[in-house]
Amino acid sequence: MSFLHIDNVKKRFGDTTVLKGIDITIEKGDFLVLVGPSGCGKSTLLNMIAGLDSISEGELRLNGEVISHVHPSQRDIAMVFQSYALYPSMTVAGNIGFGLEMRKVPKPEREKAIKNVAQMLQIESLLDRKPAQLSGGQRQRVAMGRALVREPQLFLFDEPLSNLDAKLRVDMRTEIKQLHQRLKATIVYVTHDQIEAMTLATRIAVMRGGELQQLGTPHDVYDDPNNLFVAGFMGSPSMNLIEARIEKDGEELVAWVETADDRLKLPVVRDREALGAYAGRRVILGLRPEAITDSRSANHQDGIIYEAALNVEIIEPTGADLYVVTMLGGREVNARMRSGTAVEVGQSAPFAFDVARMVAFDPESEARIR
Amino acid sequence: MSTTAPISRASMWPRIVLYAVLIVFAALFLMPLYVMLTTSFKTLAEIQQGNMLALPEQWTLTPWLEAWGSACIGLDCDGISGYFFNSIKIVIPAVVISALFGAFNGYVLTKWRFRGHKIVFGLILFGCFIPFQIILLPMARVLGVLHIANTTTGLVLVHIVYGIGFTTLFFRNYYETFPNELIRAAMLDGAGFFTIFFRILLPASGPIIVVTVIWQFTNVWNDFLFGVSFTSGENAPVTVALNNLVNSSTGVKAYNVNMAAAMFAAVPTLVVYVLAGKYFVRGLMSGSVKG
Amino acid sequence: MSHSSSKREMSARARWQAWLPKLVLAPSLALVLFFVYGFILWTSYISFSASDMLPNYTWVGTHQWSRLWGSWTWGIALHNIWVFSLLYIVSCTLLGLLLAILLDQRIRAEGLLRTIYLYPMALSFIVTGTAWQWFLNPGLGLEKTMHELGWTSFSFDWLINADMAIYTVVIAAVWQATGFVMAMFLAGLRGIDGEMIKAAQIDGAPVWKIYLRIIIPQLRPVFLSAVVVLAHLAIKSFDLIVAMTGGGPGNATTVPATFMYSYAFSRNEMGIAAASAVFMLAVIAALIVPYLYSELRGPRS
Repeated sequence: MSFLHIDNVKKRFGDTTVLKGIDITIEKGDFLVLVGPSGCGKSTLLNMIAGLDSISEGELRLNGEVISHVHPSQRDIAMVFQSYALYPSMTVAGNIGFGLEMRKVPKPEREKAIKNVAQMLQIESLLDRKPAQLSGGQRQRVAMGRALVREPQLFLFDEPLSNLDAKLRVDMRTEIKQLHQRLKATIVYVTHDQIEAMTLATRIAVMRGGELQQLGTPHDVYDDPNNLFVAGFMGSPSMNLIEARIEKDGEELVAWVETADDRLKLPVVRDREALGAYAGRRVILGLRPEAITDSRSANHQDGIIYEAALNVEIIEPTGADLYVVTMLGGREVNARMRSGTAVEVGQSAPFAFDVARMVAFDPESEARIR
Repeated sequence: MSTTAPISRASMWPRIVLYAVLIVFAALFLMPLYVMLTTSFKTLAEIQQGNMLALPEQWTLTPWLEAWGSACIGLDCDGISGYFFNSIKIVIPAVVISALFGAFNGYVLTKWRFRGHKIVFGLILFGCFIPFQIILLPMARVLGVLHIANTTTGLVLVHIVYGIGFTTLFFRNYYETFPNELIRAAMLDGAGFFTIFFRILLPASGPIIVVTVIWQFTNVWNDFLFGVSFTSGENAPVTVALNNLVNSSTGVKAYNVNMAAAMFAAVPTLVVYVLAGKYFVRGLMSGSVKG
Repeated sequence: MSHSSSKREMSARARWQAWLPKLVLAPSLALVLFFVYGFILWTSYISFSASDMLPNYTWVGTHQWSRLWGSWTWGIALHNIWVFSLLYIVSCTLLGLLLAILLDQRIRAEGLLRTIYLYPMALSFIVTGTAWQWFLNPGLGLEKTMHELGWTSFSFDWLINADMAIYTVVIAAVWQATGFVMAMFLAGLRGIDGEMIKAAQIDGAPVWKIYLRIIIPQLRPVFLSAVVVLAHLAIKSFDLIVAMTGGGPGNATTVPATFMYSYAFSRNEMGIAAASAVFMLAVIAALIVPYLYSELRGPRS
């Protein structure tokens, strides 16, 4: 039985539908990340799980119980907010203990719980301070402490790291991941940052325009995207999307791609049955930058490598890697090569394509062909 | 913002002129208060022969004592002390109750919004901008019906009703700056409507409480229109008594006593201004709607 | 939380929580609806009734209104309020702006000067009126002082001069409100981006030109606020006139507010008084409603 079940949930504000029937289920201990561009409805969905927004249609079940119309305070849910929402006039200890106080937990127990949580988050020395005296990172910890102390069935995080600077964000991300693993807590986490989604989630729900685009493990969403939107949204630099033409070549199925001065033939090895129906038609191929590389870095064990010499347009060294841009199907294509690979702008260089990772999309419906 | 270019040695003159102008204005602003004060310490004889701007040759407290305890206002010759206490009796409940109303209204109108909240706020706010002449006639009758005509209680009611607009405005604008997430967090923590207000918002409302109390205190204390319309005789507030004292046509005008009485009427608000000028100015600014 | 009874309690609690805010707001709204809007309607009706000393609900159409407009005193009151408002608004705005600009030049003791300029605003109009009545007293005040100081030809009898008395009220009113307008402008000046000024200085613009061309145009919202607030104060002005001149000499300083008061409470002409009050409300509403609308519609809500 699923732990949290979001069953065909819809949200309407007047005439506009902001959530068009969302279905998501997760298990106890899952870390679900709702990710998508702003306005996709992810925060609304989170607020509906919390009970802070009403549900227009559909049902929410938590641990077998329908909670769609239960008051937020009775849902056994805790939430960490983007602005942290710390009570300005209370001390850190007061902030953390407030939820327990409201639930009439006796004072000694409360103090013990506050102490435990403070210890876990390393904020014991801050317990007597007011929120105004804390740094951004410290506030973030207090906000988490306030959620943790209640030991709820479900934690909700609403873009909790978006107000921190880049360095702190990475540190806190790691810490949240560790907390999840240690506490085996069930978490629903909203972010617009796909890297956060990839690193934290056990399940990712990619949303756009009030609709669920794909629900799956980070691996599913990254390597097996459901449609062009998911392919383009997840991953940085994003997946190369290349126009191509599918043709039968005897028994084989191949994709023809225009290069600067010639055509390139890539054998189709994935989703061959479905792509067979596209013979003679245009499709959009998806290849991650790391699936186009130099021949030494190519994954010769598991991959199916196909090499071709292409003209180098731009070189972008990042230190760890060397991104090499070439033109395919009239668009720039990013290849991720080993740092130090000998390539020169304007010259031809060997590119190794891992066609085992190549996926294809229908240019009209933008859906994955499989 | 400041536009002062670095001062070169040659251009000291503009600065000197600038300070001179500012000081002259300061003197002009202080003049009436100065004259009031010095007059109140002079004997009537000295006033009649003398220079208004001069300091008293012979300092006397008699005008102050007379103004407080024995000056004749109407038919009673008990000074303005009784009226001074009337004003206090009016000010305290009127300020406390209207501020309380304002705080709750501001809370509801920002954190518990409902369809039409803007219209409700607009209706309440417009109430403090009307010319009060429009309500004088019906209010006089309603106070009569409620048997609180010519009482300080009646004036308390009047000041509460017409103070709500501004107190609501102050608290609404203040609570608008509190993130709504604060309320949501508290709701998830299990706090209800009143708990959120008393435990979370109110303890963080210190500055706006001060602004509101000072604003209401100044307005109610300085009120004349309601006082003169709805009270008379011994129930009048101090402003009405002062006006009666100064503008009664009988007898010799005791200017020194008049000025001392005016000082009594002015001192409470002046003290508040000197002690908490920052908040007074903030109230004035919010009174022109934008915070 | 798995019993259905507790769930029903929860939804009762949820319903109660949903109603509470409206319940808390209701008394204020009821008070305002009755004491503001109900009273406005009542007074408006009275202005079309035969009421004199007591309310008389007989409808007489525009009878009271034509009596009002036919009244000589009302004409004076309108003329006075026009003169008073115009001078008051213009003087306060210009003086306030001037003081604000002067104070914005990194003045030492700015806080003290600001406090001095603004303190009259804390005073009651009755106190202000009393002080200025004495200060301008023709027999013993400024005039006598000037004579004492050797300027024997100095004459200042505006307070008892029917043609000039209204100007003494303007002086006192300007004295009281200028500091307030200054504070508004000062806040506006402090809100202007300093880099723009620096850019203009680098462009070689002289200080007065920077003010005239760059800074003052940006203060337009402050001008609007100041004018609306001052106009509103002017139309409601009652206390100061009562305390300084009592509307006199004769009718020389009568304004609509004093007119209304005397017709309501001493002349027992409730109908005319109501009509004059409705007129005042109409003028203020025409001024305030668009202003409030534009202020409240903004990004704040």
